[in-house]
Amino acid sequence: MFAAGIMRVQNPGKRRPRGRPRQSMSISQAVEAAGDGSGSEFRRGVASCAPVLLGTIPYALVLGAQATQKGLSTLELSMMTGLNFAGGSEFAAIQLWTAPPHILLIVAITFLVNSRHLLMGAALAPFLRDLPRRKVFPALFVLCDESWALGLADAKQRAAAGITPAFSPRYYMGAALAMYLTWFSFTTLGALLGPMLGHVETYGFDMAFPAVFLVLMRGMWKSVSAARPWLVSLVIAALVYLFIPGAWYVAAGAVSGLLAAWLMAGDA
Amino acid sequence: MIDTATLLTIVLMAGVTYLTRIGGYVVLRNRVLSARATAVMEAAPGCVLISVIAPAFVSRNPADLLALAITFIAATRLPMLPTVLIGIASAGLLRHFIG
Repeated sequence: MFAAGIMRVQNPGKRRPRGRPRQSMSISQAVEAAGDGSGSEFRRGVASCAPVLLGTIPYALVLGAQATQKGLSTLELSMMTGLNFAGGSEFAAIQLWTAPPHILLIVAITFLVNSRHLLMGAALAPFLRDLPRRKVFPALFVLCDESWALGLADAKQRAAAGITPAFSPRYYMGAALAMYLTWFSFTTLGALLGPMLGHVETYGFDMAFPAVFLVLMRGMWKSVSAARPWLVSLVIAALVYLFIPGAWYVAAGAVSGLLAAWLMAGDA
Repeated sequence: MIDTATLLTIVLMAGVTYLTRIGGYVVLRNRVLSARATAVMEAAPGCVLISVIAPAFVSRNPADLLALAITFIAATRLPMLPTVLIGIASAGLLRHFIG
């Protein structure tokens, strides 16, 4: 099923990827063909992920192209994006890549950039309580910023509407697998196309990320006082980004925001 | 086609990344959190998201900052897809004409 999905994803990509990706149909059809009857939740997940996929494709192409310029083979790059599946850390790794690679440095930076997953998994944990571990562990393999944010926002909305269980595993998997297949396929395609690709920034696609994240944050908004830690995160992350090279800003921003939330919870 | 050091790096990257993915769940799965810890957990998603996009807020390119301001305003009142399209269009156009 995976292989079939990947092959279908790559076909529309060979034309220039503009507009809404077409793979949502093929993935949900594949699930319905598997005969589990819950295709509509899965499809809902894929559909809600579509705007994010739009912003992801140019980045995936650029990462693949950069990797080949750093001397990785297409197979090596595909292994990285398929096994690691965490774009931020992959950009950082490719940025730091040498021949031979500085293994400890790259692994440490990978951990650092992805340490936010610890917080994300913790925030998701209460919603996963009723699910068996054998389902949760594979599902967490495809946890990424987008699938997590969509899954969590959906669970909170369903909880507020009184729907049980609040967390919809198939919705989450729809968003996560759409993201996974898109990332894996288009990074591979980027590696194959290599240096023919220019800079995505020219076309404005990179603004999709702030747009998606800001809309998600609006969904999480409770009150001005509850949002104060976010402001702390923004300021610290921005300062660290400006003055300290590398990918420290994500960890620094997140940790200082949490510290602020911890301190503010005391005087509330 | 596959270099040994490269393979080792990729496998280790994948390993630590998966540990970060399951770590929060494994540690906090069966705990009851205090009010303070709950406040921290509720703030966490937003803190991570805003930190990831923080560089956009301190761009040196005025076109980018203007596009971000437009996207921000759109995000406070429109659904996901229109906001994304406005963000992409405003960034693309402003960079073309200003940046």
